[in-house]
Amino acid sequence: MMLLTLLLLMTLAAYYLGLRRAVTVAGGPTSVRVLHSRPAYYGMWTAIWCGLPALIIFAAWQMLEGRMLTHLVVAQLPPEMQSLSAARLSLIVNDIRNIIYGNIPVGQVSPAVQAAAELYLRLQAISRIALAAAVLASALAGLGAAYGRIHIRLRARNQVERLVLWLLGACSTIAIFTTIGIVLSVLYEALRFFKSVPLTDFLFGLQWSPQMAIRSDQVGSSGAFGAVPVLAGTLLVSGIAMLVAVPIGLLAAIYMSEYAGKRLRSVVKPLMEILAGIPTVVYGFFAALTVAPLIRSSGHAIGLDVSSESALAAGLVMGIMIIPFVSSLSDDMINAVPQSLRDGAYGLGATHSETIRQVVLPAALPGIVGGVLLAVSRAIGETMIVVMAAGLTANLTLNPLKTVTTVTVQIVTLLVGDQEFDSPKTLAAFALGLLLFVITLGLNIIALKVVRKYREQYE
Amino acid sequence: MLKKTLQAFAAVILIWTGAAAPAMADAARDNLKIVGSSTVYPFATVVAEQFGKTSGFKTPVIESTGSGGGFKLFCAGVGVEHPDITNASRRIKPSEMDTCAANGVNEIVEVKIGYDGIVLANSRKAPPLKLTRRDMYLALARQVPDPSGAQKVVPNPYKTWKEINPALPASKIEVLGPPPTSGTRDAFVELVMEHGAESYDWIKALKKSDEKQFKAISQTVREDGAYIEAGENDNLIVQKLEANPKAAGIFGFSFLDQNVDKIQGAVVENVSPTFEAIADGSYPVSRPLFFYIKKAHVGRIPGIAEYVKEFSSEKAWGPDGYLADKGLIPMPDAERKQMAADVARMKTLAKDALK
Amino acid sequence: MNNGKPKTIEIVQRSLVRRYRAERRFRRMGLGAIVLSLVFLGFLFASIVGNGYTALFQTQVQLDISFDPETFATGELANADYPRLIKEALYKAFPQVTARGERRALTGLVSSGAAFQLRQMVLADRSLIGTRRSIWLPADDDVDMLVKGHLSRQAGRLSEAQLAWIGQLQSQGKLAKHFNWTLFTAGDSREPELAGILGAVVGSFYTLLVTLALSFPLGVATAVYLEEFAPRSRWTDLIEVNINNLAAVPSIVFGLLGLAVFLGAFGMPRSAPVVGGMVLTLMTLPTIIIASRAALQAVPPSIRDAALGVGASKMQMILHHVLPLALPGMLTGTIIGMARALGETAPLLMIGMVAFIVDIPGGFTDPATVLPVQIYLWADSPERAFVERTAAATLALLAFLIVMNGLAVVLRRRFERRW
Repeated sequence: MMLLTLLLLMTLAAYYLGLRRAVTVAGGPTSVRVLHSRPAYYGMWTAIWCGLPALIIFAAWQMLEGRMLTHLVVAQLPPEMQSLSAARLSLIVNDIRNIIYGNIPVGQVSPAVQAAAELYLRLQAISRIALAAAVLASALAGLGAAYGRIHIRLRARNQVERLVLWLLGACSTIAIFTTIGIVLSVLYEALRFFKSVPLTDFLFGLQWSPQMAIRSDQVGSSGAFGAVPVLAGTLLVSGIAMLVAVPIGLLAAIYMSEYAGKRLRSVVKPLMEILAGIPTVVYGFFAALTVAPLIRSSGHAIGLDVSSESALAAGLVMGIMIIPFVSSLSDDMINAVPQSLRDGAYGLGATHSETIRQVVLPAALPGIVGGVLLAVSRAIGETMIVVMAAGLTANLTLNPLKTVTTVTVQIVTLLVGDQEFDSPKTLAAFALGLLLFVITLGLNIIALKVVRKYREQYE
Repeated sequence: MLKKTLQAFAAVILIWTGAAAPAMADAARDNLKIVGSSTVYPFATVVAEQFGKTSGFKTPVIESTGSGGGFKLFCAGVGVEHPDITNASRRIKPSEMDTCAANGVNEIVEVKIGYDGIVLANSRKAPPLKLTRRDMYLALARQVPDPSGAQKVVPNPYKTWKEINPALPASKIEVLGPPPTSGTRDAFVELVMEHGAESYDWIKALKKSDEKQFKAISQTVREDGAYIEAGENDNLIVQKLEANPKAAGIFGFSFLDQNVDKIQGAVVENVSPTFEAIADGSYPVSRPLFFYIKKAHVGRIPGIAEYVKEFSSEKAWGPDGYLADKGLIPMPDAERKQMAADVARMKTLAKDALK
Repeated sequence: MNNGKPKTIEIVQRSLVRRYRAERRFRRMGLGAIVLSLVFLGFLFASIVGNGYTALFQTQVQLDISFDPETFATGELANADYPRLIKEALYKAFPQVTARGERRALTGLVSSGAAFQLRQMVLADRSLIGTRRSIWLPADDDVDMLVKGHLSRQAGRLSEAQLAWIGQLQSQGKLAKHFNWTLFTAGDSREPELAGILGAVVGSFYTLLVTLALSFPLGVATAVYLEEFAPRSRWTDLIEVNINNLAAVPSIVFGLLGLAVFLGAFGMPRSAPVVGGMVLTLMTLPTIIIASRAALQAVPPSIRDAALGVGASKMQMILHHVLPLALPGMLTGTIIGMARALGETAPLLMIGMVAFIVDIPGGFTDPATVLPVQIYLWADSPERAFVERTAAATLALLAFLIVMNGLAVVLRRRFERRW
């Protein structure tokens, strides 16, 4: 940490040195215009040369240090210890580390381990000093080289900007890596699942009933792994949620951005955001214990057969949760519509609501659709509410008063159960995850095409 | 602005290296890591807390992962990054021992800690249920013997409790219970449903002649809405029962124990599910709970032996111990003593012991 | 004008009436939507507060503890028989109780954590030994529930004798409710009267710090690149589709990713805030990116043209002019993303953060849990007294959230503008 602070200070110093140097090269503060770039860029350029290579050295060292030291120490252990299996060796290494960190030593500490710990500490001290030397040397070298090369023709801005651009581009690839990571971590287990359950049964089967035996000597019942009812349940619940969230959220957004005064807006908007932040666990309890019994008893009052875990309850509460998503993003989109469009409509004699419905909304529509799609995604991926309120029975039905189950519920229950981890039951969770992933991917490709086609830019 | 952005990047890189590097490089472990069943979790955590407060060791970290997930982590290998102990609401399976052995986890110590009663309960607002296991089987199986008396099975025709047994209330059969992935469900099927099915002689005979069909008849739970799979959160089931007095629920005894003012346990074959009745075995539905120790870690990770000693002490798992206060049903005295002795010697589990 | 046909002005006025009515209706619908969502919010809050406020108080019993030197005569101070001190004090207060079973029931009135409280007191101040002190000690959770009225007297959790003792203590003023400091200063515990949220709060803090430090810069950088620099190519299309898709991936799948990549491939420790923070970063990134891009799009082209017109480079135009103007919108997205991260439970399940952790984490790699997970765990505990503590923990979480939102609102208000 000390070293990093020092490096940071050096980088700052490099910035000012570079800046001063540039001004000097230009011939004083009054004539900086002869420089290719503004002086600050020379400062940044110097700072980058000073800090970046040193930082890379530091990071690499940190990553390798532990392994290198352990390797060296292990090499010094008595041969009978070295001949142990890798796993046992790791426990001995843990012993050594426990001693190093001053934790409670366990059992008898053999002299060899004690010696190894001391060796480790010695090596570590050496390594720290070497690291400091390397980092500081690199920083100084970078600083010196950069300082010497500052010249009025040096295209410092372009170089700095290229680095920034490169960094920005690198950041954007994280999404790709995440996707690859997800696919890789899900695919392998999913493939194992498809070995025991054919793909067609999974995709087109109309029955979901993962009642396979927990133990090998048991006989489960059907053990059917048809994903259709699970998917239908997911769509039903998120459909209900969107029926609640889109009208309320959109109307609230319109009111807030077009009608409400500044004061109301500044109070209501944060309140709505709180609605989005309430933990889904809490919503789940609310749905299961307050809303579901309410719907059930009112259903009974008018003679309807309502399940105690109806899709309606889960969907309603999920809708409430999603309102702020829709409203917040639509609000931004409506605000983004230029005032000139509204003024034009008013000038033609349109009332406020006509302006909104016929001018502002169409203009903001692509963005709103984007926000709604985000909300749909959120609804499909929501887990805790449905885990608590939606039940586990997979009915293939469109009746919102019946119990349905969703993909996420199934994933959770399959993963945290007591069954063997490599049984098809557990692996089905990965297959469902993959399926969900593929479906949302398809939806998003379509959505992207649509939004791009209708996107407009004003002014 | 550009400068600020650069500084932000610097800060990010700082955190990346500062936070991630030590994590990757080396982390010694001075606390126990325990994973496994959510049923054992409430008991293991009590022991862990006592252990942490009294022993001078750090309090163990206990994760609730489910028995299967626990074994997967436990069997992944020997070493600091793997857990030392896994809790389970069922015994380890031979296949899981194979996985363990393949990863170098050869010596496992099995510790049975006591029993967990499984109860069927309903709201106190409704009359109490007095059932036999045959009643429960008839209420919940997918296929039941033909009510006319013929020796064949028909899809379960019963809609109300009264249809099964005239002494029962006329309310609709609506039972909230654990999903098929749960060990509680597994135990319930074995202890109640199978037993109930065997009360029919011809089904019992099937057990010998056609075991597969016997199991299909006795172990399959109906899927027509009378049995509602309600997830693993037993508190939620209790609260749903309170909100819906007509329904009944299946869960562990400790939840009944804590909520006796809200719900009542069904009397099974004239025995109410009380602590004493489960302990002396007169209440028929209970299952053993276990934890498993990785012997290779004993003496390497601080505190394993001490934790196990705390767990197997009389003040913890004895009839008057603090675990009994939390609803764990203790083993009979002889079995408990034997188990404590075995644990103290760290007797390893032989694969042959699992059938 | 011509026979009987309504005049233009009449038509206009009639339609105006209609149009104004539509206007009012539309306006009322908007207001109704806001009121409706606020009613939901109020309802939720009311139910949480109603359940949780009682947890702010804890029933305590006043006992005359005599720190008998004999108890401390043998062995170390830390291992002395502290429970005996409490038992003796109780036996003295109720001399009529002699039978073994009854005495057991009597000691059951006081929390098992009381002995640890005495231990801490003695360890902190040795001069206590040999003195007599009147000390308030936490009562057992059943007693607490009874005093608060959450447990009926007929429930059977407490025996007739115990109820009588409680009545006696109450009439003597030795049983009273005090502010529950434990709730805010302790880590998790299996005894409700000893359980606190500090461990989870600290865990949440570390986790969110990692998430914020990673996701905000990464999200903004990605948004800027995609929106302003990236050429429209298959590659950027792919990135874009990916980002939208990641927003829809169920959060538990991110947990699977964390398990496989961060724990498996990188060998990072389980149950650590740094891993939790990284998983939550991946989860919140799409939200932040999408909102940030929308905010960038909303900056009018005139600003860009003006900046370019006076000779700024593209990078300067974006970093000096467009980005500051888009920042309020980006902050909105970040708030929503962080709020989601703060309340998330499911992905943490897979990386070992759903765990019983008593010790308060001291860093980014210590085992830790987070507030929503604590709520989830407490909600699943059999003890009745955890119900109100669950609600209280939820309140604490909401307080966190309100503070975060308040901060962001202040920031946003300084920048918000309309074109």
